[in-house]
Amino acid sequence: MKFISKIIPILLAVLIFPFGLGFGGPEKPDDETLRYKGQLLSIRWDPLTQSPLIMRGIDTHLMELKNFSKLSREEVTHTGPQLVSKYQSLLQIGPDQLKLKGAEKISDTWYVSYWQTFQGVILYESSLGFSIDSRGRIKSLGALIYPKVRAPVTPKISHEKALKIGQDQIKDFEKLRCRLVAESILIYPVRKANSVDYYWVYAFNFFPEEALHPATTEGGWAVFVDSQTGKVVLFEILMKPLGCCVPEDWVPPKPEEMRPKW
Amino acid sequence: MLCPGGLGSSQARGDETEVVNSKFLKILLVVLFISLSVFSCKGKPKKSSLPRLGTAAFDFNCYDLRGRTWRLNEVRSKVLLLRFWNDGCPSCRVEMPVIEAYYRRLKSEGFMVLAVNVRQSAAVAEAFTAQLDITFPVLLDSDGKMAQRYGVYAVPTSFLIDRQGIIQKIFVGEVFKEEKFLRDLLKHYFPR
Repeated sequence: MKFISKIIPILLAVLIFPFGLGFGGPEKPDDETLRYKGQLLSIRWDPLTQSPLIMRGIDTHLMELKNFSKLSREEVTHTGPQLVSKYQSLLQIGPDQLKLKGAEKISDTWYVSYWQTFQGVILYESSLGFSIDSRGRIKSLGALIYPKVRAPVTPKISHEKALKIGQDQIKDFEKLRCRLVAESILIYPVRKANSVDYYWVYAFNFFPEEALHPATTEGGWAVFVDSQTGKVVLFEILMKPLGCCVPEDWVPPKPEEMRPKW
Repeated sequence: MLCPGGLGSSQARGDETEVVNSKFLKILLVVLFISLSVFSCKGKPKKSSLPRLGTAAFDFNCYDLRGRTWRLNEVRSKVLLLRFWNDGCPSCRVEMPVIEAYYRRLKSEGFMVLAVNVRQSAAVAEAFTAQLDITFPVLLDSDGKMAQRYGVYAVPTSFLIDRQGIIQKIFVGEVFKEEKFLRDLLKHYFPR
């Protein structure tokens, strides 16, 4: 009995001590209230990337823009990089990693959103965005960002080969008179149970000719081809994206312009 | 970058559905940056068929971002705007604040919005929701089955379902950016 009574506290200490010192693993709670540079913030963390999914100021705003009503649209679009600079150590990405996705004024509120980039290449489905009220206040932000991107930056297979691989995924490509409607390069993050895999991909959108007519209900295909192995990492049937809001002055980039600048 | 003619024109799909296709050509060209819904099989995509107006809406059983399960029966006494969307669709983003404003204004009178994210992860939907300060429930149709059941072939697609669970309107494409459109639509159900 004496032995047991001595050993139990030791066992408990051995079990509990490492967690008390933070050896229990780096996982943060999903929701957390913390003080950052004197400001009280509420943060919902992405358990997979350890980056904020939602960030709100408690009793204060994340940012308040002076003379907001006088700002031009372009000046409004600079808000994202400013916000990222202010909270950089929490967001863990740099302001130069943002690429504007959209900025729309609806009623008196601006809605601004960005993609995250890595080496100038957009991360598929990434986003960081917020609203700015009529008084220039940003109360919260929502983000799906990837602070620790590890992706190759040099393709091992050519664009032409990747295109052929993409086309070969579609049965009856010729018979359906499929068209390459859009193409780009992207970083494709694949969220797994405990980690994220990053693929530098050639991304192609193909549509059968008849599906291009707006009255049809048919879609097309998206094919993502890994630039390193030529493996197809995504094959999806696309829905038709309808609507507007592509800037009037938007000009489709040429394929050579869509290649990374290295 | 091939796009046959005729894409720029708007065209109604029968008299059942109002199809808004403005700038469709441009949208197709940037479609890569648009995250898209999927039915994961190779070969020719299946043709979709929207339900008929005046018929009963299909029941569903879908989780929202908070983990709550939603069924049509739970909202049967309300005027429901059932909206299929995804993060990459530009007009989905632009229209949400307009819908949110009417939801806040009319929810106590029985206006309900269920926004169904099609084939994207909860993280994508959650970030989107936070960016736009959305307070109505956001449902996750991660396998796309609910969208398939409703015959959704494009995003955004919205169904206006009355208090008896009957589909009264279907809108494919962007229609709510102009606030007046939604105001006029809801005036019939909420006259004040």
